[in-house]
Amino acid sequence: MVALPLSLGDENKRQLSPDLVASYRRDLGVGEPLGFLRPWQKLVQGKRLGTSSQGVTGAELLTKLASSMAVGLVAVVMALCWAFAYALLRWSVRRAQAVAIEELVPALAFGTPVFIPALLLAPHAVEAGHFLPELAAALVISVWPGIFLGTLVADSFKTELAREYVRAARSKGLSQRRVMVRHVLPNVLPTLLDSIPPVATALLAGSFAAERVLGLPYFGQLYVLAVLQKQIAVVVVATTLFASVLVLVRLIVGLARWLVDPRAREPVPGETTP
Amino acid sequence: MTRRLPAATRFLLVGAALLLVLWALSFAVAVLRPSAFARLCPLGSDVLRPDSSVCALAFGGVWISLSVGLLAGAAATVAGFGVASIARIFGGWVDAVLMRSADALFALPDVLVLMVLQFAAQTAGDLHPRLRINPVPLMILSLAMVGWAAPARLFRDRLETLERAEFVGAARALGAGHWHVLNRHLWPFLRDYALGIFLSRVPAAILAESTISFLGIGKIEPMSLGRYLGTSYASLLYGEGVRIVLPAWVLLILIVLGASLAGRGASALAEH
Repeated sequence: MVALPLSLGDENKRQLSPDLVASYRRDLGVGEPLGFLRPWQKLVQGKRLGTSSQGVTGAELLTKLASSMAVGLVAVVMALCWAFAYALLRWSVRRAQAVAIEELVPALAFGTPVFIPALLLAPHAVEAGHFLPELAAALVISVWPGIFLGTLVADSFKTELAREYVRAARSKGLSQRRVMVRHVLPNVLPTLLDSIPPVATALLAGSFAAERVLGLPYFGQLYVLAVLQKQIAVVVVATTLFASVLVLVRLIVGLARWLVDPRAREPVPGETTP
Repeated sequence: MTRRLPAATRFLLVGAALLLVLWALSFAVAVLRPSAFARLCPLGSDVLRPDSSVCALAFGGVWISLSVGLLAGAAATVAGFGVASIARIFGGWVDAVLMRSADALFALPDVLVLMVLQFAAQTAGDLHPRLRINPVPLMILSLAMVGWAAPARLFRDRLETLERAEFVGAARALGAGHWHVLNRHLWPFLRDYALGIFLSRVPAAILAESTISFLGIGKIEPMSLGRYLGTSYASLLYGEGVRIVLPAWVLLILIVLGASLAGRGASALAEH
């Protein structure tokens, strides 16, 4: 158990020492023109952000971010497995049971904060080592995004399969497989692409609690510790990095959607093209 | 012969009743009769606080989690409605700027923004004691500042749809101002919708609060469910994790289920 205790902190620690206040001013360049860029200047110069041993260099920060993203990528695979399993479950159950599965499973997944399954897995995973904490973290953060994706996939396929073009294609003699691959899938793909940014957001957000509980010294834990220890410069840089990753994901998804969906390339009604 | 209630009304009533019962029982246990649960609790006493039972600590946290969630949900809904109204009244670039801001905030995880807000407010309070805010109002304020984006987007789109109706055009042609149209003609169509949005914000607020409190960043007193779990972390070392974690988990799910059911019912009623 790396991170004990989580919140039995002494309130007196909130009384800041003059040294710490001075470090705040120094880190943020208070009173200096463009002082808010000071953390970035230190980062580029290879200096340590934050105070003493609790700080972090730019290289360490990037390594931790890459490690968190690697855990996130494993979680994406797991989320796809959850999504596939849940969509199959919804397809296979009878109508009477469908309501219970469509209501209860998402409520259970949404109503369970990441830290609860992490707490239950932590005693077994942390002691075992051998990447088991990483796998446990990926598992606990993948549940809600997986069920969300599964709901979306099942609903999209259900909607598309009920459309007239599917019946028309079948009546012209196309096989079910060909109809799915050539007609249904291209229409479902934009919905799936649109779901990637919220899934990426949920996965990265889940990493804060999962990494903290499972003692993974990556970006999520670094961020929580920086907030708890009031490392202003680390929080500023880490927040910007985190937001940049999400913007990058949205940009890539936007480009992919533009390539995949012809409707995305059509001009918006009312907008004039040069 | 009794008439069966519509599904939407049943969802709303069951969800609201679940929330009310949980809140009232928890408040009674935690505030009115704290000693009663200590004797009856089958889960024994807490590892770190031997003078308190697990039942009293977990169940006692329900009312504070629920209160924070309800107040934050209400504040986020009111703020979202305010932003949407301003966006529709002024239109043009004001509308575009407000909605792009909402979209930008919506793209970031609630937990991250909450951590930043709590961090900023706590640091400001440490540097200038006059700016220090009590943790409970600070949490409600932070949750409202995080949660206004989705209601603003939903209200704005609904207002835009309603404004195309003939009766709104007729009222404007007769000289009615923006405030009059909003208050007298549009609000009656928005009441159930607003209730649905408010109830849908409650579980999100409760979950975000529980995560922040669990991480030790929000220091709510009396302890919410998340803070209780965060402070009981060490009990896992003694193999007591399941006894401590499971009751709080079940209670969190019940709260979220109640709010989700009520929200779904209210949204379905608004659609009709």
